[in-house]
Amino acid sequence: MTQTLCRRMAKALMRHAARVMPAREKNWGEAMQNELQVIEDDQVALNWAVGCVIAGYGERMNTLLQTWYARAALALLIGMLALREFFAPLLIFAYRTQELGLAHFLGLRTAGDDYRRLIPLMDATPAWLPLLWVAAGLLFLVALWRMLRRMDGSVVLFFLAFALDLAGAVAAKSIEASTSVIATPNLMVRAAGEVLMLSTGFVLWRMTRKSGLS
Amino acid sequence: MGRRPIFSSQTDRLLAVLIKEPQVWQHGYALMKQTGLQSGTLYPVLVRLSDQGLLEAEWRDADKPGRPRRHVYRLTPAGLAFAREKIAPARKKIGAMLGAKA
Repeated sequence: MTQTLCRRMAKALMRHAARVMPAREKNWGEAMQNELQVIEDDQVALNWAVGCVIAGYGERMNTLLQTWYARAALALLIGMLALREFFAPLLIFAYRTQELGLAHFLGLRTAGDDYRRLIPLMDATPAWLPLLWVAAGLLFLVALWRMLRRMDGSVVLFFLAFALDLAGAVAAKSIEASTSVIATPNLMVRAAGEVLMLSTGFVLWRMTRKSGLS
Repeated sequence: MGRRPIFSSQTDRLLAVLIKEPQVWQHGYALMKQTGLQSGTLYPVLVRLSDQGLLEAEWRDADKPGRPRRHVYRLTPAGLAFAREKIAPARKKIGAMLGAKA
């Protein structure tokens, strides 16, 4: 790569970085762009420009995360994660208390569309495991409430709930192995749930980090 | 709830450089060289400190004709007090770290 090409790439990247900066931070984009003129070394200039593009997108993302619709979307996601934690305990509760109408209704939302497929699994589930999931769900809800109220600690609570969910998943896996009944046979669906949870936690962390909360 | 400063090792390093000569206006590139931070890390920290009223920034005409104006930075009185109160205990350690790197 020639130095001239390096410099041209740096300038193009800097123009891009200045463009992606949020409107209220345009002067910061100009500030970064103007520094490029005093950097003599082309390779250093290119590194500088790449860093500025990253900074530009980071600022853009931070600004986006402070909008009401981003907060609403995140709140919806966390709410869904909480409901997901309550699903299995509710199904087990319905089955054990012989609320079969409710069990049938919930069973339609499971793989196989029938709760009866899961009876061996529910029989083998110890009482503490649904309580663990309920605790995870409650922690998600408290994290959600604290996020909406812009209070400290939402991220910690979220990841505590995530840890409980993971612990529950590990325990459930051993029960599945012993009963040969798999609650969610599709591995992609299982993985998607965990990825969604982690991604939501990351976005929550970014959102609260911007406003100085934790 | 008001905004609180975000603590990070990068912020510490920047504050450690800025309180060395608090009256001196510094350019972004010079700060990058002194702190060892990349531009992608440095500018978000500068923006954050400025948002929190701890850093002041202004435009200065370039030394050489034909070059664009440059942004310069220094700590505000509040930023200086904050840096002295919060960062000073760690300053020696960070200074030693930067010295070792240089």
